[in-house]
Amino acid sequence: MVGNKAAATACKLARVQVASAFPITPQTTITQYLSEMYARGEWDFDFVNVEGELTSQVVVQGASRVGARTFTCTSGPGLLYMHHPMQVTGSGRLPVIMAVVHRGYKGMQPDHSDLMSQQWTGWGHQYVEHAQEILDSLLMAYKVAEDPRVRIPIAVGYDGYVLSYTAEPVEIPDQAVVDEWLPPNKPMPSILPDEVDPSTFGRGWGGGDPQMPWKTHHDAIMGMEDVQKEIMDSFEKTFGRRYGNGMIEEYRMDEADVAIIAMGTIAGTCKAAVDKMQADGKKVGLIKLRSYIPFPNKDFQEWAKKVDGFAVVDRSICPGKGGPVYMKLRDALYDQEEKTATLQFHAGLGGKEVRVHDFKMVGDKILKAAKGEKVEKITWV
Amino acid sequence: MHGRGGQGAVTASRIIATAAYEEGTYSQAIPMYGTERRGAPLTAFVRLDDVRVRERELVHTPDISIVLDPLIAKQQAVVDNLKPGGLVILNTAHKPEEVELGGDFKVATIDATTIALETLGRPITNTAILGAFAKITGLLKLESIEKAILKYFPGRLGEMNIAAVRRSYEEASDPIQAVVTKAPAEKVDIHVGGYGVLKDVSSWRLLTPEIDVDTCIGCKNCWIFCPETAIEWDEDTMKPSIRYNACKGCGLCANECPVDAIEMVRVEA
Amino acid sequence: MSERITRAQIPLSEMTITPGSACQGCGAALAARLAFKALGPNVIRHGIPCCPDSVTKTPRTGTVFEGGGALLTGTSRGLKAIGRDDVKAVAFYGDGGTYDIGFQGLSAAAERNEDVLVLTKDNEAYMNTGNQRSSATPKYSMTSTTPVGPKSRGKPRHKKNVPFIFAAHYVPYVATASVGFPEDLIAKVTYAKDLKGFRMIIIQAPCPVGWRYDPAKTIEVARSGVQTGLWPLYEIEDGQNFKLNYKPKELKPVSEYLSPQRRFRHMTEDETAEIQEDTTTKWDTLTRADELGRLII
Repeated sequence: MVGNKAAATACKLARVQVASAFPITPQTTITQYLSEMYARGEWDFDFVNVEGELTSQVVVQGASRVGARTFTCTSGPGLLYMHHPMQVTGSGRLPVIMAVVHRGYKGMQPDHSDLMSQQWTGWGHQYVEHAQEILDSLLMAYKVAEDPRVRIPIAVGYDGYVLSYTAEPVEIPDQAVVDEWLPPNKPMPSILPDEVDPSTFGRGWGGGDPQMPWKTHHDAIMGMEDVQKEIMDSFEKTFGRRYGNGMIEEYRMDEADVAIIAMGTIAGTCKAAVDKMQADGKKVGLIKLRSYIPFPNKDFQEWAKKVDGFAVVDRSICPGKGGPVYMKLRDALYDQEEKTATLQFHAGLGGKEVRVHDFKMVGDKILKAAKGEKVEKITWV
Repeated sequence: MHGRGGQGAVTASRIIATAAYEEGTYSQAIPMYGTERRGAPLTAFVRLDDVRVRERELVHTPDISIVLDPLIAKQQAVVDNLKPGGLVILNTAHKPEEVELGGDFKVATIDATTIALETLGRPITNTAILGAFAKITGLLKLESIEKAILKYFPGRLGEMNIAAVRRSYEEASDPIQAVVTKAPAEKVDIHVGGYGVLKDVSSWRLLTPEIDVDTCIGCKNCWIFCPETAIEWDEDTMKPSIRYNACKGCGLCANECPVDAIEMVRVEA
Repeated sequence: MSERITRAQIPLSEMTITPGSACQGCGAALAARLAFKALGPNVIRHGIPCCPDSVTKTPRTGTVFEGGGALLTGTSRGLKAIGRDDVKAVAFYGDGGTYDIGFQGLSAAAERNEDVLVLTKDNEAYMNTGNQRSSATPKYSMTSTTPVGPKSRGKPRHKKNVPFIFAAHYVPYVATASVGFPEDLIAKVTYAKDLKGFRMIIIQAPCPVGWRYDPAKTIEVARSGVQTGLWPLYEIEDGQNFKLNYKPKELKPVSEYLSPQRRFRHMTEDETAEIQEDTTTKWDTLTRADELGRLII
């Protein structure tokens, strides 16, 4: 099953009620799979074929506001077009789930610049590695987003082509088990005429501290960390699979002196590289970053006490600022008593392939830096 | 400076600031943030200083409060935040002794509405209060205000406004210490920004509708055309009555009455 | 098509909570008051950025300026999904949200024949930001972005014929209405409320501040808009069946509508004559369409 089919299958398993999308490469086939599933009547849902991404985002906003479970998906430029209404979905605390099939905005090939550019819209951001993880993460995303403690929309990002159009085995859970694990969504608060609180009528703008909505929104996203960890445990109990603690997934870190930090499909390549490096006696492990927002500060602070170096491989760059994961990691580590060496690697931008030997180079550099040897801080892979 | 949308409070604040600049004083005119609605009460602020004004916040405790509207002038809120011993200049036909606002401040009054109606032909009271401001405070020369007015209103309109300022300067008399000591209760909003339901919009009215029910023929025009449902309809008597707290004084009902049973009158009480 | 009602049939109960924060004599506030009288409580009101008109006793939802058609779609589909399609998704948008920034999404919603009701309060410019031109602004109208000067005679082009454009999506119902004709307005909203599919009513809502007339004259101005033929009242069903709702024996001259409004005060006799000729031509087409009962474009 290809990545995009895994995403569409997750919609079916989650019994999404209203989905809406506008086709864009490399997300296009999701819209086709959903249209086919709708035509075949595979389950009771509504798929709205719209005239642009902005509309698809607002359609799911409207449907989510009255309590339906919703799904949308897009890529690169389409995501940028959604930027404006994404803020409304975020601050409206609507549990919309969106698959972002990464496409850089300088060309069609994947990098993470599309989703990274949406950091300020008030969503949870996740990056996943393979088709099984797409399916599982979308199911978990519904459970997290709809949790009364959270009520935050979540974007699940995965790389275009190498994942969206790449076929690999995917285990599909039993519908009855999913139904039991993921009960229907409930709107809160209701805006149905017979359920709405009439005291909200005519409540105008202004009044109260205008900063409070920002604070409650921020606090809710920060609170997702614990809920994500809890739901990862519950997912494993029910379905027998897990991805680290939900925030990060460690790979062969038991014996590692240093860690490479990577996201998405290249984390898979990195796993292969780690196997080879450890076979060669190099103590390099991987910490796959799954949740960029909220960022796993605590996990990295704990790992900083155990390892001597972090090599951050960023697949996106904010021109003039740098790699977002690297910046956020350094921020998380600033108050640590002991400094851990960090290196920045720019890789995979514009869809450039990141290969096993690239990760071996990354591993060698961070091993050197961890020993105190002089290594350049920033490397374009 | 308190007024209503359309009375020119924001312009008046800018004229003061510009006049001060003419005299070599640093100044700053800030409107209260929000959307301005025609007829809706609003607030604008001016700071004057010998050095460049650095703070960019609203004026929370003013030395002087200027009120452009006679109905807003009845609201205690216009003096509530004045510094002790401060000054309030009210547009009202009343004498300072008759002002029923409580506290430790000086009161001056000027009938700017009459001045504006007689010099400009319209109840836009912003310039008609500036003459009184110049004379009573002594902070600005009349000539500087006139110069500033011409910058905002060139030509004939400027000359008309200057005439209003001069007359206001002549008619203004010295302020007296407020006679009421206890603050009266708050009645209406003195600043309306943004969207929503309001409590009482009486202060929006310049003219107030009065219904002569004997002349009324029960056509329901006034009722159906009122944007604010300020006209209530009694289906038994087939007569309207007015809910004055919801009436903004637009005059639509009087205009639509086929038998002239509604008259728009200037009521300040 | 809607059925005529009398003044006595207009419901006495109010759906607005007043006083609101609209300007004195606001045509849009009255449009909301009248329209929601007809709609009743079982609706979800949709809003996008626009002037404050009247607050209604209805739940409300809103989104980005350009998202009006999409939000209606989402609510309507969502209500069906949760089994509550007894509740109507109703928009109360301005001309900016209908004619301009919201046009694409509304057109797409019309093409999909979404089960929604769009009410537009058309005050012929972006009034909430202080009277800037929109594509609903009529020719020669002076706004803050089409001022009059040696190189400008106000807005250079005609108002966009949005009701006809939406009718050309072959949707069940498109109508125009005016706050000057409350019985007609309420009859149309009442009729459109219970139809299925995409329905749109464009309500002319004069704005004393932007159109620059005395707030007491809002109804006078609205009424003369209809009586001069500049704002004809009609209904179009399925993009074809046409009915003119107000047919005087003779139209009043357009100057009766134009001259009380200071947004047109710079107009020359020639310019007024041009508008007169244009209005008469369009009116002739509409009356012929009315006789046929079919739309002619």
